[in-house]
Amino acid sequence: MKNGRWITQTESSTCLSEALAIWVRDLRSEFRTRYAVNAILMFAVTTLIAVSFSIGSFRIAETEKPFLNGVLLWVILVFSALSGLSRSFVKEEEAGTMDVLKLSARPQAVFLGKLFFNLTLLGALELIIVPAFIIMMGYEIELPGCFTAMVVSAGLGLGAGTTIVAAMIAQASARGALFSALSFPLLLPLMIVAIKGCERAAVGTDAAGWPEVRIAVAYIVIMIIMSLFLFPLIWEE
Amino acid sequence: MIYKILLAVWMTFIIVASFMFTEAASGFPGETSRILFFHVPQAWVATLCFLLSMIGSALYLAKRRLGSDDLAHSAAELGFLFCILATVTGSIFAKATWGSYWNWDPRETSIVILLMIYGAYFALRSAVPDPEKKRVFAAVYSILAFVTVPFLVFVVPRITTSLHPEDTMNPAKPGMDPRTLKVFLGSLFAYTTLFVWMLRLRMRLLYLEHLKDPIARMRRDGGIE
Repeated sequence: MKNGRWITQTESSTCLSEALAIWVRDLRSEFRTRYAVNAILMFAVTTLIAVSFSIGSFRIAETEKPFLNGVLLWVILVFSALSGLSRSFVKEEEAGTMDVLKLSARPQAVFLGKLFFNLTLLGALELIIVPAFIIMMGYEIELPGCFTAMVVSAGLGLGAGTTIVAAMIAQASARGALFSALSFPLLLPLMIVAIKGCERAAVGTDAAGWPEVRIAVAYIVIMIIMSLFLFPLIWEE
Repeated sequence: MIYKILLAVWMTFIIVASFMFTEAASGFPGETSRILFFHVPQAWVATLCFLLSMIGSALYLAKRRLGSDDLAHSAAELGFLFCILATVTGSIFAKATWGSYWNWDPRETSIVILLMIYGAYFALRSAVPDPEKKRVFAAVYSILAFVTVPFLVFVVPRITTSLHPEDTMNPAKPGMDPRTLKVFLGSLFAYTTLFVWMLRLRMRLLYLEHLKDPIARMRRDGGIE
């Protein structure tokens, strides 16, 4: 929607402006229903409380904390993301708006718009869960800058790796279970890197150039480029 | 037909030779190093399958020929089989030499991820009702999965040190016993041939299944674009 009218593909609209329009439209519809954000956040908060309640900040030995807390944090974040990120495309399929969307914008613009939307959701998720996790688990971080860069880049990677999968499973049967099953193998390398990067940031061994962050950035770039190539194929089917 | 018999004779010959002709490598308990002749070719075929599946997928996306999808599908199925074989043999070897069946060695991690990718690939294929969509989605997923593999190869070994034997048993390095090398290369050839035979068999079966479907048949012959 743009000024209350449907956006249509015109000479003047660029790929980016279409993507932004889709992003804004998704944000608006999300604000009205709050379905995806509720699903993801409730999942994350529930898991965080369960983990924090059963382990707490004193059960883990001080030497093990940097690594084990990194593992727990990323298990919570990845599985929360997997619980709700498929909404971006599934809701189009359920509302029957897939065809209109196909007519209104270029495939790459649709992909980018949905990617921006998923990244917004992930940003909100991390903004709430990461500080809460640090407080509830007593996670002490020596290098906050490196930690923040790791969390942000791995969050972007989560969005980059799952958006195209969401587009596929929206058109399949057994959506919920399939989304996790398909996304997890693609995300596992990223998850391992993120855990390692958070451990490094927590311990405070500052390797030159933050290698884990760089690997995550490479993952993001490759996944987005491949998705931009492959998305039109699955979108126009 | 004659190739099948030749392959059977060659396989038998390799199995006998791997126990009778070669010496067990030093540095490994008992006869465990003989796993080299079976485990490594299996892992090689599993890797080859992954590559072939990706190539078949890319070809399918480019040209939309059913044969390319059949290649991708059959290579994935056989890759899954050989992955399981390599995992099981490797796990037995791990118990004999490292003391546990499973300890998340980098090699074990990457093969588990490969198994998961194959599992997801089959799950996706079975979950999309429309056959045309199914092939496109499977091809897209196969390419996406292939793209993440470099991260596994470069990233996972950084995380922990591997106990996987490389130096003493890697044929590319000097120092391998010449007899061992001969049998190893023979076994590699035997396993690859076995794989090619199985792949052709599976692809022929898929082709026959397409014949039952008249639309797919016309598309295959170039009747529908």
